[in-house]
This record gives sequence, structure tokens and C-alpha cells, in this order.
Amino acid sequence: MNFWRTADNPWGEEVLIGISWDLMWLAIGASVVFLIGHAVWLRTRPAEAHEAPSEAETSGIPEQIERHNLGSRLFHWTMAATMLALLITAFVPVIGWQFPWVTIHWVAGVLLIATVVYHVIRAIGWQDFWSMFQLGVAEGTAQVRHVLSAKAPAPPRAGKYPFDHRMYHHVIVVTTLAAIVTGLLMMVRIDTPFWTPNPYLLSDATWGVMYVVHGVSGVALIVLVAAHIYFAVRPEKRWMLWAMVNGFIDREKYLEHFDPSKWDVTGGSAPTSVEGGTGALADASVTARRDD
Amino acid sequence: MAKIRDMIPAFELLQPTSVEAAMDLLDEHREEAWVLAGGLDSFDWFKDRIKRPSVVVDLGGIPELTGISEIENGLVIGAMTSLTEVERHERIRAEYSVVADAARHVATPQIRNQGTLGGNVSQDTRCWYYRSGWPCYRAGGNTCYAAAPQAMNREHCIMGRSRCVAVNPSDTAPALIAVDAKMIVENPGGPSVYDAEDFFIGPAIDITRMTVITPRDLLTRIQIPATWANAEFYYEKVRDRASWDFQLVSVAAAFRKAGDTIEEARIAVNGVAPYPVRVEAAERIVAGTSGDEATAAAAGEAAIEGARALRHNDYKIPMMRNLVRRAVRSVA
Amino acid sequence: MAEKLIGTDIAPPDLHAKITGRAKYAEDFRAPGMVFAKLLLSPMPHARVRRVDASRALSMPGVIDILRADEVPAREGPREAVLTDNPRYEGEPILAVAAVDEETAAAAIEEIEIDFEPFPFVLDPLDSLRPGGPNPYVEGNQFSGQDGWSEFKWTEADFATIDAGEMPDPECPVEWTKGDPAAAFAESALVLEETIVHQSLTHHPMEPRSNMAYWEGDRLFAFVSTQSSQQTKFALAGALDMDPENITLVSEYAGGGFGSKIAGTTIMQLPAIFSQKIGRPVMLRVTRYEENYIGRARPGFQSWLKMGFLENGKCNAIDLIIVQESGPYGAGDFNTAGMIADLTYTPQNMRFRAVPMYTNTPPKAAQRGPGGAQIISMMEPILEKAGRELGIDRLEMHLINAPRPDVRFGPRDNSLTSVHTVEALEQGAELFDWASKSQLSGQRNGSKVTGVGIGLSPYTAGSRGRDGMVIIRPDGRLYVHQGIGNLGTHSIADTARPAAELLGFNWEDVVIVWGDSSRGYPRSTVQAGSQTTTAHTRANRAAAEDALRKIRAVAASSMGGSPGAYRVDDGRVSGPGGTMTLGAVAQRAIAMGGEYDGHVLPDDIHAQTVPAAQMLAGAGLMGIARDNFGGEGNIYSWVAGFALVELDEETGVVELKEYVGVTDCGTVIHPRSLGAQVFGGSIQGMGMAMTQRWVFDPKWGVPFANRLYTARPPGILDVPPDLKWGAVGIPDPQDPIGAKGIGEPPVGAGAAALTCAVADAMGGRCLCRTPLTPDILLAEIEGREQGFGRLDQHIG
Repeated sequence: MNFWRTADNPWGEEVLIGISWDLMWLAIGASVVFLIGHAVWLRTRPAEAHEAPSEAETSGIPEQIERHNLGSRLFHWTMAATMLALLITAFVPVIGWQFPWVTIHWVAGVLLIATVVYHVIRAIGWQDFWSMFQLGVAEGTAQVRHVLSAKAPAPPRAGKYPFDHRMYHHVIVVTTLAAIVTGLLMMVRIDTPFWTPNPYLLSDATWGVMYVVHGVSGVALIVLVAAHIYFAVRPEKRWMLWAMVNGFIDREKYLEHFDPSKWDVTGGSAPTSVEGGTGALADASVTARRDD
Repeated sequence: MAKIRDMIPAFELLQPTSVEAAMDLLDEHREEAWVLAGGLDSFDWFKDRIKRPSVVVDLGGIPELTGISEIENGLVIGAMTSLTEVERHERIRAEYSVVADAARHVATPQIRNQGTLGGNVSQDTRCWYYRSGWPCYRAGGNTCYAAAPQAMNREHCIMGRSRCVAVNPSDTAPALIAVDAKMIVENPGGPSVYDAEDFFIGPAIDITRMTVITPRDLLTRIQIPATWANAEFYYEKVRDRASWDFQLVSVAAAFRKAGDTIEEARIAVNGVAPYPVRVEAAERIVAGTSGDEATAAAAGEAAIEGARALRHNDYKIPMMRNLVRRAVRSVA
Repeated sequence: MAEKLIGTDIAPPDLHAKITGRAKYAEDFRAPGMVFAKLLLSPMPHARVRRVDASRALSMPGVIDILRADEVPAREGPREAVLTDNPRYEGEPILAVAAVDEETAAAAIEEIEIDFEPFPFVLDPLDSLRPGGPNPYVEGNQFSGQDGWSEFKWTEADFATIDAGEMPDPECPVEWTKGDPAAAFAESALVLEETIVHQSLTHHPMEPRSNMAYWEGDRLFAFVSTQSSQQTKFALAGALDMDPENITLVSEYAGGGFGSKIAGTTIMQLPAIFSQKIGRPVMLRVTRYEENYIGRARPGFQSWLKMGFLENGKCNAIDLIIVQESGPYGAGDFNTAGMIADLTYTPQNMRFRAVPMYTNTPPKAAQRGPGGAQIISMMEPILEKAGRELGIDRLEMHLINAPRPDVRFGPRDNSLTSVHTVEALEQGAELFDWASKSQLSGQRNGSKVTGVGIGLSPYTAGSRGRDGMVIIRPDGRLYVHQGIGNLGTHSIADTARPAAELLGFNWEDVVIVWGDSSRGYPRSTVQAGSQTTTAHTRANRAAAEDALRKIRAVAASSMGGSPGAYRVDDGRVSGPGGTMTLGAVAQRAIAMGGEYDGHVLPDDIHAQTVPAAQMLAGAGLMGIARDNFGGEGNIYSWVAGFALVELDEETGVVELKEYVGVTDCGTVIHPRSLGAQVFGGSIQGMGMAMTQRWVFDPKWGVPFANRLYTARPPGILDVPPDLKWGAVGIPDPQDPIGAKGIGEPPVGAGAAALTCAVADAMGGRCLCRTPLTPDILLAEIEGREQGFGRLDQHIG
């Protein structure tokens, strides 16, 4: 198996030109193995028992809790569409189904950038930015322990974004940003209405690195997106998918999975927890009313 | 690894004597196999050691691929028929003169004797960056050297670009589109028939190929339907010198007239895109007119709609416009 | 009565072999144990070899050995070695591998691991002249024998002027002035100022410079492709630092050279040195691709020209600046261009400045009409433009300005032996029917516009003082020993004619001895500067006069009477004492010995002639002499070209409809061959002006148009089938034969007639650049922007 593709430039110097497409097959294989493996593994696990919520807990909590407002949902689905478009246009032709993919790819890329910019501005200005950036070491440790052994105690209920969601978000951020930055630069080389293609903006060697980073991000996104979709459609998690569709979860799911002290949905009337987010990157203003 | 040119490396030469045997060989060797027709494109690649197939399947010994036969509804030309034969064939000259004209404009008499119609339409682009073995998109790399701001690209495309800006070099391709020829491509799954204009594909579809042909495929016949027999034709090829030269821009057109009125037209231009371009907008303008100067001018303008020049090929825009205009004018 | 040999068409002796394929060119030779060499060429335009690992290549079965740059004579400064580790152009040979066959050698080259360090490079000389611009050598961009390398730049102010589209006034390493140009311009009724770009283009001889060599002891046998022959042997000896008499140089045929193979010894060193190293004959078959790199090219010019004219059309002042793209190893075209501008337009007041600039493009060398062809094709349209502006007929403009016999030109006021430009122009005008054709100028037929133009082109055409050697053997035949090369012009045969005619031989009894240095040659010229016809008709005439004197003496001594009373004709000598065959005379001369059979030689023959004469002494009656006919002034011949073209304004395509070339080259020796030279040269010039090109990618410094189909030298279909030629036919009075060479001037004439005719069809607009391809013309007609700058080089 090869990791990269190289070529001799016009002067006969060997330069990187991108990742080996073997890596795409590896990513596809890894995704399949993971999905099947996870599904099988999950069947070996005892059903997760959840305590019924107490009266005290339910008091003041609405029947339907808005988890994702319209803006967030629009962002998510636009991003999902662009991401899928990008992945399909990137890899399907490699697999062998030829179609005019370049324009769709860069237009989708530009849309993705727009959604990301929108998301970042919104997260900083209008959302609880830090809720996503809590480290949550204790929560994470507990979750990992629980995954490794069903006997380990279930992790404490999470804030709005559980540990695994936060970690997934971070990985996606890094991968997508890598793809975006390199992709933006690569647009300089192709025919767009914005400028004359210029393959000589950077040196051959630098371009090689760009292509490799873009390629590695791309194949990583195959795995990440596959896993994301898989979890979204799993029966026990489908309520989250619906939340992303219609915006709401019900009180039962809320109390089952979230700690009201960490994700306050009552507008401050519910009892607050004394326990803050351990190891939070900043003061985890967990009591703040949030939009989503 | 150092480079050397002008020395053909060894390959295994397979010389089937039937289409069936050729297909078996192509099926057996798949991507490893190179289909050899007249060799004028192939040997250029081989001697530069840029394309290095391990197996070459020579179609030269397959009698059923050569010759021109008359069928009820037109003509069938074997893919291995020499361009000279196409150029001199009486019925082609009489009824489909645009095809004979186009064949006559290929390179030189020697090349036309050796070159085949199938090879002429299947040949690779002559972009000199690509032909120099540079790792461009078409060669599987990630750069179009010809579209770079300072590139030498006077012979490159003004439309249809998609990362690659090369042009299709075939002289006969636009003529075959003008007469609505059908390309018969066979593979183990059976024959497929393509309209000539769909036989050629652009880099947006597949940047490594000029035609629909993939490994295991064989272009066996080119059929000219009688639909356009005895229409009024126009062919013109602009080149830098009067022989042994690829086109800068060429035009082939067929007009069916009723009295002074053009009922229907087919106009194709080559040298302006990575594939021969059928200019349907111009055809629509021409239909129902007498092909007068105003119509010709409008058709010319319609043909260049959306054309965009690279650094050195802006001239192709007026050249294409003028050739389409001349084609229309020719029937007035 | 023997047949007349001067001025008649005779089949040259090599014709049958060429037509039947029996002619052996260098690559047709084989020797026992011969191996094949292949070259590894530099992939970069300017670099240094950091590391070579040939171990894998050398371990391949069939691979014999490798030859590296440190094994061939090194050259200091901007001089070319056959192999180098410091390549100065893409395609420069780095090393060679020998193997039992070419396939193995080529495969071995691919197995070599080689690593280069790239350096900045220069394609366009103006880039290097710009302050802070790159240099073609690590050490600088100018070289002098005394001071070595330095950096020469023009100023920001110079470039501000250039970039504003005006003529700069820069410092130039080459400068001469005659008369008072400034005062003359002040008196001019019309001053035209133009920017000129003439392209650089490769020679493209049909035969690449393949060659083979082997050694027997200290003796080198070299089978080569060269224009010259005897002088190539001396040049090769010089390059290899060996005794020329230890070289047997075989060069029977050359498939063209056009100046690129005057000697062409650089690549000949390779088989010679490699063969010496491995002890086996080595054949280097140079491919078309390699020929494109190592086969030389015409230097390009970027120029500014100011030309002043009096009311009556006379050019009275020229100010000319030439920046020459010289390649990595230099070329002298610019000097000739300055001289020829002065000669052709006789301004009396001229300032000439030139900057030859080294560049990282394949090496330059003389190309048929070097310097002259470029400047004539560029200046003639400007002369015609002046005619248009002054309201003077263009033929009249050429006639007014053409030099007369009293012309003085160049910085040292050179003179000419003879000049009949007026006659050539008048004869051409008549043959072309200028009077009515010029009326067609600007006439439209659909989208086509007619243009007519005239190009008057001179070039050097002779030299003096070479030796001739002829032997009449006992078989009664005349053996003319020709040390000149057989470059396809028939001059090996045609220059022998004056000797045969003087000695009364029929052509069938004349044997031309050529092509193998072991057969013995008198001192000959190189085949360059179109000097062969003059130099060797004279030398052979001198040898024949010597032979005639000896025949008469032998006849008188055998048959009695006074030598002066004997006449030769039809292979016999006859006089008062009777008659005898020249075979018998030869027999008798051998018996008499001494000077008669070459055992005693004239004192004034050249040392290069002596070994050959000594070897041949005793073979028959030897006529041997130096050309002492003398003469004063430069020998130049001329061609006046007339062209009628049709320019298609919708496509930019130019079609040549009619062409007439009339030459002033003195006595016509061989009409058919002369016509072929006038046509061949003119068509080559037309290609230079119209179709041919050489293009470089500016980013990578790599040339394209490396193949004949991309470089586009013109084909026979690019000219009409009924080209016409004529000759003034007035013998040069300073010459015993009166013949002048003709190889070079047609190039400028063909090119200029076309550049003028195209400008005429464009309504007088001069694009002042070559090549004038349809894209450039169409963009100009359509008023669209060209993709290149006014001064950009390597466009096409």
C-alpha cells in the first residue's frame, strides 16, 4: 500500500502530488469495519438502565425542550449537504464513476466555508461558545471506562454537549479546517471566475504538502462522516437525529441524558448544581440561558 | 530516474486477426493493453517513453476493421480504414464530401496513408505540456501547466475547460459530427452506439481520456447515416502551414436546404475545446433562414458565446466566429 | 570539342547514390565491435550536478561504460564542452552511456540517479539587463577574456523608457558610429522609429549530427556529419588536442547543416573520447529531439531602430540598437547585422549599438545568412513604410537606396568587388511585373487582401587564397581533390568545373575526390559564409592552370615544339609535334617526376596541403597551386525577392501566390543548382518570417516546438508551384571565374519580401516581429490584445 503519490516535475525532481488513493479504500474499509464492529459490540452490551426522573427534577421543565433552533438546524443540514457533496465529488470519480465534479466540488467547498464562518460568528456572538470547549476530564474518563466495561458505572449525565459529541466536534473542526485551508489555496490552481489559475503561487514541494493535507483530511472525513451518520440513524440515538430535524427533544430524553444543572432549560428556575464542569477550559457558565 | 526520449522501449506486440480475438486480448490485459491503429499518435508516445504499455494490441491485421461498405441507410467505415481511402472514396466524396475534405486536411499524404479514421478520432491531445510528460492533470498529476498565467497556450482551448485546457486535435471529428455519424464501440458486454458528438468527452467528465473509450473497448466502425447525404457541406481548417499541421480552429458544417431556405444545419468546430464542439445555438439561428450575411454574423456570434481566452489564444475567439460565419455564408 | 561546363546543368556525381539510398551518411557506417552511446540531457536550463549514481545502470547486462564531464576537455568561460556538470540550457548533455545496443543504453540512462541543484536562469536577454535581473551564469552575464565575468545591467531609467515603448539610450558594449547621425536626422524629411523582435529558431537539418568513431592505435577514424570536410578534421584535432594527420575523417554526405555544422566538432568529441576509453567503436545516433537541443539555433534580436529619410526617399541616417539572445556560448550575428544594415541602405550616417547577452537557451550559431537575414527581414518593411509615407513607389525606394559599386560600409569603410543590386531589382521587377502587380496592393477579394513586397538581401559570398589540387592519372581522367564538404549544394562538383573546362575534359572523365580525408585534400575553406563557390572555383582554376602548364611542358618534351603551342581538348593535348592522350601525358609526367607528378611542390602552398600532395605524388600529372589571383574588397552576392500574398482578414492566414528571386552572384556555374539555392534559401527565409517558431515556457525555461511538426519549417505546399528565379549573370571582375556564392542571401530576400508583402496587405502596418503567424495577424486585424509584450521573445 502507498501513502502518497509522487511525480517528477518538469525538471525531473520528484515531488509529492497527493495522497495515494489506497488511503481512500483504507478509510472506506475502516468505516465499514467500525460500523459493523460497533453494531456487533453493542449487541453484547446489556441494555442501559436509566432511572426514572424524580418529581423534583421534572418540575419546571417543559414537555418539549428546544435543543437546536432553526438557525442551528439550517447550519447543520447545509453543512451536511456540502460535506456530502464534497465527499461524493472527491471520491466517487476515483472509484470509477466519472462525472463533472470539479465545479460542484469547489462550489460546495465555498458553501461549506460560508456555513463554517456563519457558525463560528454565531457561536462566538450568540451562543455559549465555551460549552463546546469544556474539556470535562472526569466526564471523559467515566465515559471511556463505561465503554470499556459495561460494569463500570454509567458516566454522569452530560451538559448540552456530552463528552463524545465535544470530541467529535473537535476532530471535525481540525479536519475540516485543514481541508478548507488547503482547499482554498488549491482553488488558486483551478479555473474559477475569480482569478487566472496559478499553479506557481507556491513551490512544488509546498503544493505537495497542501495536496497531502487535503487528501488526508478528505479520507479522514470519510470515516468521521460515516460514523456520524451511523450514530445518527442508530435506534437508540435517533431522538437526536429528530432533534436535528424538528429542533426538540422531550423531557424524558432530556432528563435521561442531560444534567439539568449543566444544561438549564428552565431559564434559571431549576436548582443549580454545585458541581461545575471539572477541568473546564473556562468558567463553564452552565447556568446561562442558551439558545440551543 | 533520468529521462531519455526518442527510443521506443520494448513491449509485447499482439496481432489479432479478428475483432473477437482483439476483444479477448483487451479483456485479458485490461489497463495494461494499448490499442494500436495507424501508430501515429501511439509511436510518438512510445518513443518518448511517456506512455509505456506492456502489451500493444495491433489492429492492423484485422480485415473486418478495414474498408468502406454501403448499407441500406448510409455507409459503414471500418475503424482501421486509412484516411487516404476515406479521402478518395467515391461515394463519400459525392454524398458526404465534408468527411472526405476533412480527411484530406490531415497532416501529409504519408500520414494519411498510414493513419486510420478510427485512430484520427481517438487520438490524444497535442498539448505540449502534456506531450512533454509533465505531471499535469491529464497525466494523473495535479497541475495544468498550460493554464498558468505565463504559459505558452496559443493552441489551447477557449471553451469547455475544466482544469485541463487542451484541445482535441482531430480533423475528421467535426466532419463526422456534421454528418451525424454513429460510432460503434464494442466490448465484451456487446456493442454500443454513440452519436459522434457524444463519443468525445471533456476533462470535466474524465480528464485522462478524450473519448468514451475505456480499457476493453474497441471502436470498430463508424456509420454515416443517409440522413445528411448530399446536403450542402462546408469544411475549413485554419493552420499555421499548409501541410503537416494540426488545426488552430476548424469548422465542418452540413446544411439541408429547401429552395433557398436552410431547413436544418449541423455545425461543429474543433480546436476550441477539449472536444469537438457542436454549436447548436448557431444551428438554431441558421434554421429557416437563407444563410444571409446577417444570419451568418449572428450564428458566428452565437458560436462564441461563453468563450474565454487564455493568455495567448484570444485570437481563437474571432477565428471561431469567422469560420462559423463563413460556413453559413457558404450556402447563401 | 569538349562540352561546356560552366553555365550548364550537369548531374552531380553523388546524385544516384542519394536517390537510390546507397549514399552512406555518418550513421550508416558500422565497425566490428561497435557499441552505441546514449546521452543524458540536463532537465534544467541552469543547474549544477550534485550527485550521480550510475551503479544500477552499469550493472545492467550489455552496458559497457559511462562517460562523464571530467573525462572530456573542459572549457573555461562561456565555451562549450561536449559534456558538462554545469548545464547552461535544458537539453545540454551531462553524460553518456555506452551499451551493446541503443535500447540497452537508453534503459541504462533511465537507471541513473542524478540530482541537480537548479539556478536562476535567463530566457529573455532583457530580463538579465534589468537591474536586479537574473544572470545566465552563476558568475554574471558578461565575459571578457581579460577581466572574466561581470554583471552588466541597464539602468532603471533605461527601462522606464523601454517600458514606455520608446527607444532607450543605454550603454552598450558594442558601438560604432560613422558620419554624423544626429545632424543627419535633423535634416531628414521623415524619421521612423520602430521596435523590432526577430525570433530565435533552430536549424533543423534533415540529418541530425550523428557520428561514429574508433581508434587503430593512435589513429582516429571519425565518421561524421559536417558541412565542411578538411577543416572539420583540423577542428576536431584541435578539440581533441591531437595531430590532425592522425585523423581519418569520413564525411561523404551531410543532410543539411545551414551553418550548424560548419565544423560541428563539439558532439564529435564524444564517440572519439568514449571509444578511446572503452577500446571499441562508438556510434552516437543523435535523435531529432536531441538535435533540437544540441543542433544550434539562430540568435533572436530585440531591437530599436530609428531610420531617417530625405524627401527623395534616400535613407540618410540609421540609429540601430540590437539586443541579441546569444544562448550560453555566444554568437556574432549582431555584428553582421550592423554591417548589412549600413551596406543595404547606405545611410552614410549611422550609429550602431549592440548587446550580445548570454542566455540559458540552446546554443546559437550561424544560421544561413546569420545576422543579415534577421535585420533585412525586419528593416525592409520599414524602408517600404517610408516609401508609402513619402509617396514614393516602393521599388523606387529600393533602387534609390541600393548600394552602387562605389559603396563603403561598416565602421572600417569596407568596399565590394562588385555589386549589381540595381540590375537585380530591375530584372526582378520585370520578371515579377512589378508595374502591374504593385497596382494590386490592397485589392480585396472577399475577405482576402492582396499585398506585394520586395526584399533585397546581401550576404558575404567568397574568400580567396585557398589551394587547389588536381591529378590527371594514366587512365586519362581528371581527379579533382576537394577538401570541401558535401553539404548538399553540389559545390563539390560545381567548383571543379573551371578546372575541367580549362583542361578540356568532358564531364564523364572528371572524378571528384571527396568525403574521406585519407584520399588527400588541398587546403580548403570551411563551408560557411557562402565562400566555397568563389574560393574553390578560383583554387581549382589555379590548380588547372598549373596542370595546363605542366601538360604543355610534358607534351613539348615528348613531341617537340614550344609548350605554348599546345592546346588541350577532349582528353588530348595537340600541337606542332602531334597529339597524345592526357593519360599518356600522365604516364609521362610520372616518369619525369619532379614537379610534374607532385614530387616537387610549389613553395607557396599551405602546410595543410603538403601531406596530401606528398601522399599523392607519383599518381599522375599533378596540378597544384595556391589561389594567387588576388582581389580587393569584400565579395557579396545579392538576391532581390518579390512576393505577392493574399491575407485572409477573417483567419489571419497568409498565402504566398507569387515569388520571384533574382540574384546578383556573378557568373552562373550551374543554373539548376543555383535555382535550387535561390528557392531553398528563400523558402527557408519565408519559414523564418511566417511559420517556424521556437517557444519556451518562461517558468521552467524549457523549449517546446521540439519536433518538426511543432517547429513548423515550411513545406512545399506553403509556396506556389511556379516560383521564378533569375540571375543578373555579370561576372565579378576581380575573379578569374567571376562566380560568387549564393547560399545565404536568399534567406533574407524570401523573408523580407514576405514581411513587406504582409505589411502591405495590412495597409502598411508593420508588426515588426517574426513569426507572423495567423494568430498574431488576426489579433492585429481584429484590434484585439496580443498575449505578449511588444518586446517579448520566444513567442509563436
